[in-house]
Amino acid sequence: MALQGVEQTILRDPALFYWIVFPITIVMILTGILRHYATVLMNNPPKPASTLAESRERLGLIRGVNLRNNCHAVLSKESFEMRKNYLVSAYQSGAFLKDPGNRGQPPANPMTDPAGMEAMMGMMKGNMMMMIPQTLIMSWINAFFSGFVILKLPFPLTIRFKSMLQSGVMTRDLDVRWVSSLSWYFLNLFGLQSVFGFILGSDNAASHMAQQMASMNPAAGVNPFQPGQDPDKLYQSEVENLEVMEHFCILDGVEERVLRHYAGRKSY
Amino acid sequence: MQTNTPELEVASGSNLVAAFRLAQRAPLILRRQGETISHPSVHSGKEPENYGVIEQLLFSCLQSGDDKSALLCTEQLAARFGVTDEKVTGLRGLYEEATAENRSTLEKCLQQYDLVLSENPINLPILKRRVALLRSLSRPADAISSLINLLDAVPTDAEAWCELADLYHSQGMSSQAAFCLEEALLIVPNAWNIHAFLGEILYSDALSSDAGDSFQLLEDSIHRFCRSIELCSDYLRGFYGLILVWHPIKVLDELTIFARERLNEIVKSRTSTHHLWKGNQSELIAAKEVLDGLDNSDL
Repeated sequence: MALQGVEQTILRDPALFYWIVFPITIVMILTGILRHYATVLMNNPPKPASTLAESRERLGLIRGVNLRNNCHAVLSKESFEMRKNYLVSAYQSGAFLKDPGNRGQPPANPMTDPAGMEAMMGMMKGNMMMMIPQTLIMSWINAFFSGFVILKLPFPLTIRFKSMLQSGVMTRDLDVRWVSSLSWYFLNLFGLQSVFGFILGSDNAASHMAQQMASMNPAAGVNPFQPGQDPDKLYQSEVENLEVMEHFCILDGVEERVLRHYAGRKSY
Repeated sequence: MQTNTPELEVASGSNLVAAFRLAQRAPLILRRQGETISHPSVHSGKEPENYGVIEQLLFSCLQSGDDKSALLCTEQLAARFGVTDEKVTGLRGLYEEATAENRSTLEKCLQQYDLVLSENPINLPILKRRVALLRSLSRPADAISSLINLLDAVPTDAEAWCELADLYHSQGMSSQAAFCLEEALLIVPNAWNIHAFLGEILYSDALSSDAGDSFQLLEDSIHRFCRSIELCSDYLRGFYGLILVWHPIKVLDELTIFARERLNEIVKSRTSTHHLWKGNQSELIAAKEVLDGLDNSDL
């Protein structure tokens, strides 16, 4: 820590500020836009199922998920039990599988399966699209701007922010309010999401978070299975989910609800 | 693009008057669309909407018998999306079916579909067209079995489940129809029209079954109608169904009184804003009749 209560001053050329902050910001925005269009260009939509059996294998799982999510709003106790028993026994016997003979065997190596290979390539392309520009820009900043202190925040901060704001500047005594060029890059990297949203629309490919979220939500895509994943395992876990379900029906007492709902309002 | 809005509005209603009016403007819309295609840069932002309009236009033209414009529509869609595109082949098949003059032409359509399906067994639009064609050839059993095959592979298609329910219902198999509608509701749990339709099917099932089952079915039917009202507060069919269901039970309680009041209001308001509800005249007339019947029986 420097002297308490004394304003730290660093003598620096004000031109540094303009010649570092603006180039980094503009380059970051431009790469984001470029990445968006490159992703759009290289992205090939997930392949739809090519046979009826394949489609059944994929959608059979979604049917179980639908039953689990929506049964309360639709089904009476008996029809729920009936459907549950049907789905559970079908999942357990592997009736929905594309080729029931392969059940229990280790999943095929995704490298040898052409469809799996394609999906892997798609994922890799997406990752590359993130990695390559980041590496390039990072090395560009390291080569040209490393070690510059570029701006001073107008408010004080605690010492914890030092690693966030002063990466690349190894000065223990420097006040936390000073921001280094490398840190400015990191702040841009994570802070420009809303700018991209403004320029490219909300579902843009420049914000990598959206991509990660999409891969986590199984019902969103056409294919709920990741390449190399064994459908049978997912079926078995769905069986467990279904079996522990407790059913209630919102149709019970719906008459009273309707009456109560409308009773208070004279002009419906 | 202001001129586009009324077209879309009209297209969304599924009634013949609107369809006819839209079809009359077909040449104009098609010419404008043709210009757009030759200068793709001009309106590229509105493209999906425009092709949606063309698709609706195709339906309207076929309904009103303007086959020439309908053919133009399919050609424009094929020019944009390619002749082999699944949806385009489906629409093309729809056109062929609609313009078929006799049964043998329809049979030829069926063979054509089988040929397409042998190349790509999961061409959904064609699979669905095939079911519809079998139905219009009055072979409901075949239609049902091929629809079951389709649903075996694509169990998450609510539209197909509803169609199967309708087919079963037309064959008098109410409990199967009810099952199908429940499956459809599992996919779209908040569709109040399907809830009401399920209520209607349960009601008609109750009328034809014996007293013990009938009471349970009527109760289920009331639940369904109530749920559809809960989801959509001025759904005419829901209230209509409620009044209808209470008729055989002959118990006049709070719910029936409420349903009657509400139906009265809806009928009044829709009669006064007549022009907005042109398409649903038949429902409105039926509702008026049931209300008149109730008034007479009270007297």
